[in-house]
Amino acid sequence: MLEVSNLVVRYGAATALDGVSLAVARGEMVAIIGPNGAGKSTLLNTVSGLLRPAAGRVRMEGRLGHVPEGRQLFAELTVDDNLRLGAWQVRVRDPGPVYELFPQLLPLRRRLAGTLSGGEQQMVAVGRALMSRPDLLAADELSLGLAPRVVETIARHLGQHCRETGMGLLLVEQNARLALDLCPRAYVLEAGRIVMSGSSEELSRSPDIRAAFLGGAIEESV
Amino acid sequence: MTLLAEYLAAGISTGCAFALVATGFVVVHRVTGVVNFAQGTYAVVGGMVAYSLLAHGLPHVAAEALAVVVSGLVGLLVGLVAIGRRGTPVLASLIITVGLAILAYALEIVIWGDLPLSYDGLPGVVTIASISVQRQYLLVTAAAILAFAGLVTFFNWTYLGKALTACFSNPYAARLIGIDVTRMGLIAFGLGGALGGLAGVLITPLRSITFDADVGIAINGFAAAIFGGLVRPGAALAGGLVLGITEALVAGYYRASYQSGIALAVMLTLMVWQARRRAGEEA
Amino acid sequence: MKLRLSATQIAGLAVAALTLALPPFLNDAQLSIYIFIGLAAMVVVGLSLLMGFAGQVSLGQASFYAIGAYAAAILARDGLPTFAGLAAAPLAAAAVAAAIGIPLLRLRGHYLAFAMLAFQLIVLTVVGEANSITGGDIGLYGIPPLNLFGFELDTNLQYSYLTWIASAAVLLLASNLVRSRPGRALRALATSEAAAAACGVPVGAYKLQVFALSAGFAGLAGGIYGFFLGFIAPASFPILLSIQFLVMAAVGGLGTIWGSLAGAAAITLLVQVLQYAGTRPGMPTHAPAVFSYGVYALVLVLVMLFLPQGLLPALRRAGEGWLAGRKVPVKQGRSAL
Repeated sequence: MLEVSNLVVRYGAATALDGVSLAVARGEMVAIIGPNGAGKSTLLNTVSGLLRPAAGRVRMEGRLGHVPEGRQLFAELTVDDNLRLGAWQVRVRDPGPVYELFPQLLPLRRRLAGTLSGGEQQMVAVGRALMSRPDLLAADELSLGLAPRVVETIARHLGQHCRETGMGLLLVEQNARLALDLCPRAYVLEAGRIVMSGSSEELSRSPDIRAAFLGGAIEESV
Repeated sequence: MTLLAEYLAAGISTGCAFALVATGFVVVHRVTGVVNFAQGTYAVVGGMVAYSLLAHGLPHVAAEALAVVVSGLVGLLVGLVAIGRRGTPVLASLIITVGLAILAYALEIVIWGDLPLSYDGLPGVVTIASISVQRQYLLVTAAAILAFAGLVTFFNWTYLGKALTACFSNPYAARLIGIDVTRMGLIAFGLGGALGGLAGVLITPLRSITFDADVGIAINGFAAAIFGGLVRPGAALAGGLVLGITEALVAGYYRASYQSGIALAVMLTLMVWQARRRAGEEA
Repeated sequence: MKLRLSATQIAGLAVAALTLALPPFLNDAQLSIYIFIGLAAMVVVGLSLLMGFAGQVSLGQASFYAIGAYAAAILARDGLPTFAGLAAAPLAAAAVAAAIGIPLLRLRGHYLAFAMLAFQLIVLTVVGEANSITGGDIGLYGIPPLNLFGFELDTNLQYSYLTWIASAAVLLLASNLVRSRPGRALRALATSEAAAAACGVPVGAYKLQVFALSAGFAGLAGGIYGFFLGFIAPASFPILLSIQFLVMAAVGGLGTIWGSLAGAAAITLLVQVLQYAGTRPGMPTHAPAVFSYGVYALVLVLVMLFLPQGLLPALRRAGEGWLAGRKVPVKQGRSAL
C-alpha cells in the first residue's frame, strides 16, 4: 500500500534522508524507531507530501492520515471543530466515531483545544487524522512529552482500532519499547538511513537494539 | 445638545466606514498573517469605479454593487502577487502590498486623473428623536453592521470560516489536513477587497476621494483593526467607532486640523492601557 | 601584529574609499543625491537594527528624522551656534524615543508598528499647529548654514563630506554594536524574547536602548538635512517617507549593516531616474507621477518576490559562488556586515 523507494531529502546542503526504502502492506502495523535527528519526521513529512524529495519515490495507494509531532492542533478552535476540520477532504464530518474511540474527549468537545492537557491533545490529534478515514495512519512521536500511562492508553486504543478496521499504522517513535510492543514489524532509522529491519521480536532480541534503545537490560521474554 | 447628536451621527457613520476597512485588515491577517497595506486602495478603487459606472448611466444600487465586486477582484489580484508564490516571507508580502498600493496610484491617475471625485449618495434627511440625520449616514452604519454580523457568523459558525481561521492558527496542520492554505489566503484577500470597496462606495458621497486618499483611510482602518490585535472583528468595530466619534467631536468642538492627531493619540493611550492591563494579568 | 581582514571588511573599506573619493567628480545635482543617499542610509541603519536585531517593526522612523531636523533648525534660527543645533538633533530624537519607548515598547509586533505610525502623525499635527515655534504648515525658512569650528559649510561638496563622515560614523558604530556582547544579546532578542530573558538578557532595557539609538541616528540625519536645505516643513516628512525607509531596509537586506547603504542607494537612485525620465520633453503631463509610482512599485514588487532577503544577501551569495568557482552552499550563521 505504501512504498518508499530510495528516498533522498535535503534541507539546503544537509541531507536528512539518504536513500530510504520501506514498505507497508494494507492493514499492516509497522514501526520506525530511531534516535533524535534520525530523520523520522522528515520521512513522514515527505510521505505526506509536504516535502519534496531530491530523489527517490513515494507511492501510496489510498489515503494517508498524518498525526504530526507535537500535536499541532488549532488551539483557538474547539475540540469538535478540530475534529470536523480533519474531515476537510471527505464528505462525512461527524466526529461520532472518534468520540467512541476516545470517550474521554466527549465531555471536552466544546473546550478550546489549546486548553487541554497533553494527553487529551494527543487524542484530538489522532482523532483529527482519523476523521479523513485514512487507509494508513502515520503517527509521529505519539509519546513525546506524555506520561507513560497516557501513552499506553492511546496506543492500546489505536492498536485495537487498527485491528478492528483493518487500517494500517506507521508508527514513528523514539520510544522503541512502545513501538515494538505495538507493531509486529519495524525499521530502524539512523542518520537518514535504514540500518536494520525485521520482525519486532527479532529486533527486541538484538543486542545492538537493546543497547541503543532498550536500556541494555536483559529481558526475560515470556 | 442637537449639535452633539449631529457630531455623533457623523462620527458613528465615519467610524463604521473605518470599521469596514478594519475588518478587511482583520480578515486578511487572520488567515495569512499579512498586514495588507493596499486595504485603503480598495476603498479608493471602489469609490472611483462607482463614480465611473454612475457617470455612464448605471443605476445606483447596481453601480455600487458592481464596484464592490471589482474591488473584491482587485483584492484577489493583490493576494495573488503578495502570497501566490510559495515561500514569500510575511514581511516581503507586506512590502509587496505597499508596492501594489503605489502601483494603484499610477493606474488611478491614468484612468481617473488626480482631481477629487464624488457622487451623490442617498439623498434626504431623516428625523430621529428630533435630530436630523443624513440618510447616507444611516446607510453606512447599516451596511457596516450587516457586513460585520455576516463576517462574525462566517468565521465562527461556518465550516469554511473555521478552516480560514485554522490557516493562520496553524498553517502546517492546515496543510496536513489537505487545506490549500494559499487558496484560502486568496479568498481572504478577495473578501478584504470587497470590504474595503464597500467602505469606499459608502463614504465617497460624504467626502470626495483622490488617488492618494488611501493612506488616510488605511491608517484609520489599521488603527481600528489594531484594537483587536488584527484578529478580532468585534474589537475592530469598536475601534472604528471610537476613532470616528473622537474625530468628529474634535473637528466639531475644537479644530478640524487636530482631528486625526487627537483621535490617534486616544487610540494609542487605550492600546497602551490595554497592554499594561494584559501584562498585569500575565504577571 | 599582522592585520587580517575578511573579504567583507575589504569590500567595506573599498566602498568607503570609493565613496569618499567620489564627490569632487559630481555636479551639484548629483551631490544632492549623494547626500540624500547618505542621510537615508543613516536612518535605515537604525531601522535595520531595530527590525533585524531587536525584532521590532517601526513604521514611523521619519518622525525622528523630523524631530532632529526641527530641533537643529529651531535652535540655530534662535541664534545659538549651529554646532549646538547639530549636536542637539540626535540627542533630542533619542530623548523623545526614550520617553515614548517606555510605554510603547510594551506593545508587540503590529501594535508597535501602528503606534509609531500614529506617533508620526501626531508629531506632524503638533508641528503643523505650533506656528510660532515651528513655522506651522508653511515651514521653517532661513535656517543658517552650518558653521563647524569656524568653518562655514555652504556648498554641496562640503555637505557631501560632512554626510560621508556622519554616515561612516553611524555605520561603524552600528557594526561594532552588532559584534559586541550587547549586540549578540540583541540578536538573541530577535529570535526569541522569552529565551533571551531566560538567559538574563535585560530585554526591556536593551530594546529601549536600540530604539533610542536608532532614533538618534535618524535625528542626526535630520539635523544635517535641515542645515543642507535651509528649509523644512511638515510636508517634508510624510508617512510615505517612513514607508520609503522601510522599503530601503527590506530591499537592502534586514539585519545587515551594509544592506542599509545598498538599499538607500538603490531606492534613491531609482526614484531619481524615474523622476528624470518622467520629465523629459514629449512626456504627457501625468507622466512624472505615473512613471515614478508605476515603475517604482513594479521594481519593488519584483525585488520582494524574487529576492525576499534583500539585495545584499543575494549579491553576497552570488559573489561567494563566483569566488569559489562553483556553487557553494551558504553557511548558516550571520555576519554583521
